[in-house]
Amino acid sequence: MSDSSFNAFEMAQAQFDRIADLLELDSGTRDLLRNPMREYHFNIPVRMDDNTVKVFQGFRVQHNDARGPGKGGIRFHPMETINTVRALSMWMTWKCATVDIPLGGSKGGVICDPHNLSQREQELICRGWVRQIARDIGPLRDIPAPDIMTNAQHMLWMLDEYETIHGAKFPGTITGKPLGMGGSLGRTEATGFGVVYTIREALKVLGIDPGTTSAAVQGFGNVAQYAIKLYQQLGGKVVCVSSWDQAEQTSFTFRKLDGINLDELLGITNRFGGINKTKAAELGYDVLNGDEWIDQDVEILIPAALENQITGDNVNRIANQVKIIAEGANGPTTPEADEVINERGIYMIPDTLANAGGVTCSYFEQVQCNMNYYWSKEEALTKLDQQMTSGFTSVNDLSRKKKLPMRDAAYVIAVNRVANACRDRGWV
Amino acid sequence: MENNHTPINTILDSLKARAKEFNCLFKVEELLTDYDQDINETLIDVIDIIPEGFQYSNYCQVKIILNGETIQSSDFTDSEWLLSAYLAVQNIKVGSIKVIYTKKFPDESDGPFLEEEKRLIITIANRIGDFIQHQELQHLLNDIKQVKSKRKTDATREWRIAVDLTNRTDSELYIKLTRKMINYLSWKGIIEAVEILQKIGSVKSSIIEALKEGDNIPHLRNKDINIRPYAERVFEIASRNLSGEEIFSCIQKWMHEDRTSFLLKTVINLDSTLGNIADVIRRFRFLSSEGTTLSDYTLKGVRVALIRKIISESLEYINITKTYVEIEDFHHLLKRMIYPTGSHGQLGGKSAGLFLATQIIKGHLHEHPELKEIKTPNTWYITSDGLHNFMDHNDLEDVTEQKYKDLRQVRQEYPHIIQLFKSSQFTPEIIKGLSMALDDFGDKPIIVRSSSLLEDSIGAAFSGKYKSLFLANQGSKEDRLAALMDAIAEVYSSTFGYDPIEYREERGLIDFKEAMGIIIQEVVGNKIGKYYLPAFAGVAFSKNEFRWSPRIKHKDGLIRLVPGLGTRAVDRLSEDFPVLVSPGQPDLRVNVTPDEIIKYSPKFIDVINLETNSFDTIEIAGLLQEYGEEYPGIMKLISVYRDGRITQPSIMDIDFKNDDIIVTCEGLISRSPFMKQIKTILNLLQEKANTSIDIEFASDGKNLYMLQCRPQGTGEESAPVKIPKNIPKNDIIFTTDKFVSNGLVPDITHIVHVVSKNYSELSDVADLLRVGRAVGQLNKLLPKHQFILMGPGRWGSRGDIKLGVNVTYSDINNTSALIEVARKKGNYVPDLSFGTHFFQDLTEAKIRYIPLYPDEGNNLFNEEYLANSPNSLAELIPDYSDLSDVIKVINVSEISPGKVLEIYMNASINRAMAALVKPRNKK
Repeated sequence: MSDSSFNAFEMAQAQFDRIADLLELDSGTRDLLRNPMREYHFNIPVRMDDNTVKVFQGFRVQHNDARGPGKGGIRFHPMETINTVRALSMWMTWKCATVDIPLGGSKGGVICDPHNLSQREQELICRGWVRQIARDIGPLRDIPAPDIMTNAQHMLWMLDEYETIHGAKFPGTITGKPLGMGGSLGRTEATGFGVVYTIREALKVLGIDPGTTSAAVQGFGNVAQYAIKLYQQLGGKVVCVSSWDQAEQTSFTFRKLDGINLDELLGITNRFGGINKTKAAELGYDVLNGDEWIDQDVEILIPAALENQITGDNVNRIANQVKIIAEGANGPTTPEADEVINERGIYMIPDTLANAGGVTCSYFEQVQCNMNYYWSKEEALTKLDQQMTSGFTSVNDLSRKKKLPMRDAAYVIAVNRVANACRDRGWV
Repeated sequence: MENNHTPINTILDSLKARAKEFNCLFKVEELLTDYDQDINETLIDVIDIIPEGFQYSNYCQVKIILNGETIQSSDFTDSEWLLSAYLAVQNIKVGSIKVIYTKKFPDESDGPFLEEEKRLIITIANRIGDFIQHQELQHLLNDIKQVKSKRKTDATREWRIAVDLTNRTDSELYIKLTRKMINYLSWKGIIEAVEILQKIGSVKSSIIEALKEGDNIPHLRNKDINIRPYAERVFEIASRNLSGEEIFSCIQKWMHEDRTSFLLKTVINLDSTLGNIADVIRRFRFLSSEGTTLSDYTLKGVRVALIRKIISESLEYINITKTYVEIEDFHHLLKRMIYPTGSHGQLGGKSAGLFLATQIIKGHLHEHPELKEIKTPNTWYITSDGLHNFMDHNDLEDVTEQKYKDLRQVRQEYPHIIQLFKSSQFTPEIIKGLSMALDDFGDKPIIVRSSSLLEDSIGAAFSGKYKSLFLANQGSKEDRLAALMDAIAEVYSSTFGYDPIEYREERGLIDFKEAMGIIIQEVVGNKIGKYYLPAFAGVAFSKNEFRWSPRIKHKDGLIRLVPGLGTRAVDRLSEDFPVLVSPGQPDLRVNVTPDEIIKYSPKFIDVINLETNSFDTIEIAGLLQEYGEEYPGIMKLISVYRDGRITQPSIMDIDFKNDDIIVTCEGLISRSPFMKQIKTILNLLQEKANTSIDIEFASDGKNLYMLQCRPQGTGEESAPVKIPKNIPKNDIIFTTDKFVSNGLVPDITHIVHVVSKNYSELSDVADLLRVGRAVGQLNKLLPKHQFILMGPGRWGSRGDIKLGVNVTYSDINNTSALIEVARKKGNYVPDLSFGTHFFQDLTEAKIRYIPLYPDEGNNLFNEEYLANSPNSLAELIPDYSDLSDVIKVINVSEISPGKVLEIYMNASINRAMAALVKPRNKK
């Protein structure tokens, strides 16, 4: 790989450098935060089903734990690179700090492709991973979670190995566990509701009554569905959603100008948020092209599907009426489009803030596990609201005070909080 | 009945009467197979049954007189309305049978009796005669056995008694025995016997002379001479030269052979019809008591002749099958065969395959006890000449010309032909047979499949080219019969459809005579609500042509599994997916993340709707919500998605109404004997049939049924393709020898090549993403299924974008092959994805996946061609012209006029090649 090629970690460092400049951080702090605090690289020998031994390479990168134990996923990927893991661990540090969760940032993984592994072999990799790093993770040090190609099952194997090694129960070692095995209620709703908590606060700031607003939503998966549910409870009107059509391998936008009916649509939606086109048309929905959600005359746009959806090409199609964009998905806006949105003065709630409901709920899972006492769903969601609202307020305040775009403000707050923690601890 | 245009009602009325007679005959037949039963007791039962076969059963009485003894209905009275027949054993009258009506009824052909009833009583009388004869013979044999066991040494006495008895009762046999004995003695080299032979036969040509080497003059034929005068002398010579035991065993064997010689004679006679064969087999079964029946060599000859006559003329097929069948198997087969009078028809390829597979499994049960529970569904057959018989009966011969017409015309006229066939009549004997079949099936749903002779004669795959039709088989017998005939007519008409004719024309099979057998098979399954369906069904291949991991070998096989009818596993459905699993590597799954598992799980199910008599596709979710609790074996088929996890619920845990149920077949795969059974079947059949095979199966939730078995190489997409030689090196684009499957990708006009080196040097993530978008655009613009995609690493991977082009399935769904190129980086070669991210999408769309390792082994990778050919990218999608270094679009036909790219894949030699060649001639 030549030096000029795309490198996720270098990109993350460049982003950080820009914020560090804004914050005028000293070089010591920059050097500390530009790179992970600790990296673990280890071998995991596994006796395969055919009795041969294969050695897998595992990682854990702990970028920064000044604000609390590290938090971040474990990825199983055959082409995993240390630079990607470094970049993602840094991103976790900022993400937790943005909504003021007392956790640091980590990431880990194993170079492997579960498609080439039996369940038993995957279990051995999970247990092998924990054996190598059992002393350096845990509820008070670093808390793994599921990520690409890992799921609740892998987490339970890992937890079991960790508890076996330490001879006690530590459900807070790992998050992303199923209910009844230390999982938290409210997890399903968390991200979608989180998006709407921030929208509600943004409307307050702008002095708009939610009951007078309408929204267009891209996507109809878990995040979009719960966002719509809560937004409608606030009195808002969703005029359209877009969804992927598996059979036609393209997406469509389903519009009803006097407001979509969520339950009605859910009744004709498959597990992946694919809405039945024919039935929707029968129910009186206009079936439009997949990208037409962006053209709607609404106050709020909620891109809650994929990355790179609002681009230089389509940003100018956004109606003048649009006041707020809330990024339910990760990275739905390209930098080019972001610039135009800023110029037009549209209120942008960036992904690090808008979709932080997920990571906040993981934090709650960990908290409940540590005290071995579990909240009701209402309790969890109320706490989520508080956390998100307070996270929003500080980002908004900073943005207003320092005339920063919201995205930058969120980043600045996060880096500043971490830098302060490092300073307070006397590290820098 | 004789009138071809008799209205259906008349036919049906008369059929009902026929059915009565047949039922009666069947019951009698059943009684007369129990040879251990006392004759009088048997006849008492027979008397009770006979009235059932008559029009006015309630007024019908029967009397049988046998050897002076009378057996009769309890209230038998003599009457003027009388039918009678003689009972005879070896043409000697031993008694009579009388049927009377106690009151007067309207006149039919013989008083109040129908012509058929007359025939019925004669048939029954004959059968009773045979029965008596058989019993007598058995008694005689038992006596002989007893004598033998008592006085083993006195064999001499026994053979003398036997010969003496024969001399007095059956002079023809006596002469035969004499002739055999003298031949036997001569063969043993006993001079006296040779002398007699010379005396009575051709004087000049002694046996010894006849064997002289180089003798090219025809031997003189022995004149028909009378051996009778020498008989006593022959046996006398025998008694002096052979032991009593030897003579006795010879005579015993020859007598048996004589009694059964009609069997061989009939089965090898080219003129024998299936009817004749069925008769002689029945007679043979009748005569053969336990123990010695036919000599091994005769038996082999009979078996081979039967296979050739009834099943297949393919030498290969006969060679394998002959070691697995018994005459008894043919008896059972013939009982369920429907054929025209004078039929010389065969079963056809599909039936032949199933028959052989069943026999092989039966033959190896002791080694593989897990196969004991494998069954085959109740199946009836119409022989291949049924089609000709049908067309002849309805004057449809001119339809045969259809195949020589222009294909467009064929397509246009086909709907008309279907209607023509459907409005035609079947001959009475076929209707009779179908009626019996329906009585046998009851109201279980059935499937009517074609079984073409082309399938096994050429090894061409006609699967799916001809029709298979499901019938709910509900309602009155009339309705069911009408529906069955309608379905058969439709399957017959499919011979003249566009697809089969085009297919035959392409393969030079157009002049092959139309001959198509029909299989009528009970649909395996259960009634669930208003639906009827198997618990699960599918197809299994002994060779895996769609491997999703480099750890899966070609020989590990592949199973496509679905709940409900197997149609969804056999056909490719782009909007739904079967569960895929490899019997050799059941733990390596195609889909591993919950997202993948859910996305690629079956969502729909094919069922037979018993209320509407139709074949329906319904949503599994709805079916299970309503009938989940009733669905047999459902817990083996489903998993539940809860909390981001896919789990196997316990039976007490499951809530069919509210749980998020996913069909994974996990229990079936990991916690049942199913995988082992399928693996054993595939291995066993592949080994014994000496070719890779595929089978169709279904289960009612309890047992596994095999529905079909055929050679796998016959599938278009799975046949090993010959790799052409003598292609100039410059015209070869690549070769590979790793993870090669079978198949052919023809007619490629464009290559889209993402250049590994230049792709990896892109520094901007936006550019990397744009490569994916550009591919998506090309996918829409280039001619469908005539271009291939080649590029580095893992296409569609969700990980680091630089390791593979960022595409979704919709960006590549029109390609004909996806080729991942693993270039060496430093000292290692990266893993490829094997298309895992959209593996099942690729499989269902028949898009081939090929991994390339250009830096390993002796593989060719024509970088010069790929690099130096002009790039059409800017022309096709000007917006992406800045990516011209990264994406190359090569218009093959423009650069090499008159040529296209073809990819040949041959797993048997583990080699694949892509080369520029002249396009195939397509008519």
